[in-house]
Amino acid sequence: MGIRSMLSRVRPLINLLILMAIWEVAGQLKLVADGALPAPSAILLRLLTDWSDYPNHIGATLYGAGAGFLIGNLVAVALGTLFALYPVTARLARGMNVAIFALPPIAISPILVLTLNEMAPRIVLAAIGCYFVTMTSTVVGLTQADPRAIDLVRAYGGNKWQALWLVRMRSALPTILSGLRIAAPNAVLGSILAEFGGGGRWGLGVYLLGSLGRAEPDRLWGIGLVATAIAALAYFAFAALGARLLKGTEAVTVPSALPHSGDVTRPLWQRVLILLGSIALPFALWWALLAALRVPAMIAKTPPGLFDYLFVLPSAAAAQVKLLAALAQTLPMTLIGMAAGLALAFLLALTSQVRPGIVRALLPVALVTQTMPLVALTPLLVLMLGRGPAVILWITISVTFFPAFVTMAQGLLLVPRAALDVPRAYGASLFTQLRLVSVPASLPYLFAATRLTAPRALLGVMIAEWLATGTGLGNLLNQSRGYLDYGMIWAVAVVSVLISVFFYQVVVVIERRTLSRLGMAVAD
Amino acid sequence: MAATGIRLEGISRIFEARGKRTEALKDVSLSTEPGSFTALIGPSGCGKSTILRLCLGLDMPDAGTLTVDGLVPTEATKQGLTGVAFQDAALLPWRNVEANIALPLDVLGRKLSDYRPRIAELIRLVGLEGFEKSLPGELSGGMRQRVAIARALVTKPDVLFLDEPFGALDQILRRQMNIELQRIWMETRATTLLVTHGIDEAVFLADRVVVMASRPGRIAKIIEIDLPRPRHPALFNEEHFHALEREVSEALDGH
Ligand SMILES: Nc1ncnc2c1ncn2[C@@H]1O[C@H](COP(=O)(O)OP(=O)(O)OP(=O)(O)O)[C@@H](O)[C@H]1O
Ligand SMILES: [Mg+2]
Repeated sequence: MGIRSMLSRVRPLINLLILMAIWEVAGQLKLVADGALPAPSAILLRLLTDWSDYPNHIGATLYGAGAGFLIGNLVAVALGTLFALYPVTARLARGMNVAIFALPPIAISPILVLTLNEMAPRIVLAAIGCYFVTMTSTVVGLTQADPRAIDLVRAYGGNKWQALWLVRMRSALPTILSGLRIAAPNAVLGSILAEFGGGGRWGLGVYLLGSLGRAEPDRLWGIGLVATAIAALAYFAFAALGARLLKGTEAVTVPSALPHSGDVTRPLWQRVLILLGSIALPFALWWALLAALRVPAMIAKTPPGLFDYLFVLPSAAAAQVKLLAALAQTLPMTLIGMAAGLALAFLLALTSQVRPGIVRALLPVALVTQTMPLVALTPLLVLMLGRGPAVILWITISVTFFPAFVTMAQGLLLVPRAALDVPRAYGASLFTQLRLVSVPASLPYLFAATRLTAPRALLGVMIAEWLATGTGLGNLLNQSRGYLDYGMIWAVAVVSVLISVFFYQVVVVIERRTLSRLGMAVAD
Repeated sequence: MAATGIRLEGISRIFEARGKRTEALKDVSLSTEPGSFTALIGPSGCGKSTILRLCLGLDMPDAGTLTVDGLVPTEATKQGLTGVAFQDAALLPWRNVEANIALPLDVLGRKLSDYRPRIAELIRLVGLEGFEKSLPGELSGGMRQRVAIARALVTKPDVLFLDEPFGALDQILRRQMNIELQRIWMETRATTLLVTHGIDEAVFLADRVVVMASRPGRIAKIIEIDLPRPRHPALFNEEHFHALEREVSEALDGH
């Protein structure tokens, strides 16, 4: 092994050491935000003194996250397969899927805690955190399988199921694994967010919330780091698994045939019916769940109950004014945060093709910003950035950036060798290669990332509003919790879901137009 | 069930993609004798691959009827009567050479253990000994095509469809494979439809050369090849062979 390759291998380690050294100095001298960033040594010492507290908390969080991860992903893979095989079911479930994805965990965790027993809210939120990512990547993976290979199975009289078993499942595996990779930290985050909602004595979220008021940044950071370490372990386990399976089995050429168009073209009345069904399904589920759980009507608003609250009751006008004012604050920030997060992720994904080293150095940081429970970061961010729009922007970028980056980097990774060989053979520069091959070939993944990002951006803004700035929908939600104004809690939750669905739908329309013009398959 | 070869009657296929209309095939009729060897030759884009896809039930004609061994294509394929090698090898990147060759067996639900010797024999036939466990990504383009040919033969098909199977091979290997293919064909007497761009290959292998023309895709001329079998490599230098080559070449030019 040459010195150069040795160096490139230890490089990330050196970077990390430099970073730690700077952090240590900054912490010791209380350089950042008046001591809100303690030195690593202080955090570590605190972690050691607190260590006896940890096992129970870790165990509880692991249990909630693990059970949710298992259940959420099983459901996601099963339904994703159904959607890929029968596109009409995907259309029918579209409203439900986006609604589940866009559910702000913060908004529903108080409701879950009131209606379910101790562990169930955590499992539900962890499962919800996994469901959409894994479901989407299952469908993307299954529908983007090499059409030539599927033709081959069909040429021997193979049916849908054989094509699924022999070709689609296996070729979807890397994509599903990259979904699980994102889902794993999501499950941890989901469980912790549910723990904030209350209920239970154990869990890192409970621990964090209990330590929040005591001005002990070193303990907060300790808890945050432990939570991050758990999420990071889960992430890298699936990353390693993916790398092993992917090794040497990438497709060698680009499929030249148009991929099989998913759904048959239907008459207008059928399409209208499917659309109406997909809109009605989430409302029907919402209603059915409340009925099944027998939640008291005071707490649980059914769709008509919410309608009364917003439009019929005497207090309706006041509620409307509050809601609209909050929306006017939240919406612009969401759009800006989303654009910034996506742009950053795209740039970094492109960079990862040119300079893999940069990504290796940055990935841990990205992972921290993703999985470090935002509550632990917020005090620091507030002290550093004040309680203004900058905090919202940073928090939003940190929750949108990571999933977008992983999705796009994956898309670029899947660009086949042979496709890059042609421009290379003509001496194309790296930039030209990216422009001519990598970017267009990864376009379906860019769109998939954008769709993933839209609802998360809103969630990020709401978290920041709740915890830091005291503005917008997030703040309204927090206030309503304090006033036991259940109608408003439901109203904010439903409105934020509707906004997310709207953003999502806009992306889908642009995506359809662009990809069909380029003769590529829409990955839905 | 009477084996009746491949039969196309009045086949038309029109593609409409993104506002553009292509008459890939217009009123194509062709029937091949059971056990015969037919070569399909014609300019790029004249619908050769389309004919193959129709015969395999991968695509439906807009007009006309089509049978393979007297059955509709989807039925013939389900019964395992057909074998196919596509224009690009279309190997599954995660299966090694052996497993790729065995894919049709998996689809048809046949017992793999019954075919072990056959797979080994086919690997030897296409000259890939020692590469049994290699993944497609580790093979050259020509090697991948040879895997595809072995895969087409693994089920001992009654009807064999080959879409430019030797496209990526060098001239010498190509000749060798031509001779091997003739040997295999004479042993098995599978009804064979070979799509090719090589005039010499078509004349050397086929009983009949079907020359196609494009826009719309149609049959321009059918030329009987009356050379006795088995045909030997020496044939490539004979005057009669060259005359037949000229005839095909002129038909391609539209005479
Ligand atoms: N799925 C499709 N959608 C639209 N047009 C198609 C499709 N498949 C084939 N065509 C068109 O039909 C025509 C015939 O195509 P085909 O692949 O059969 O040609 P070919 O004779 O096999 O050519 P080559 O020798 O280059 O392989 C072409 O003009 C092609 O553009
Ligand atoms: Mg062709």
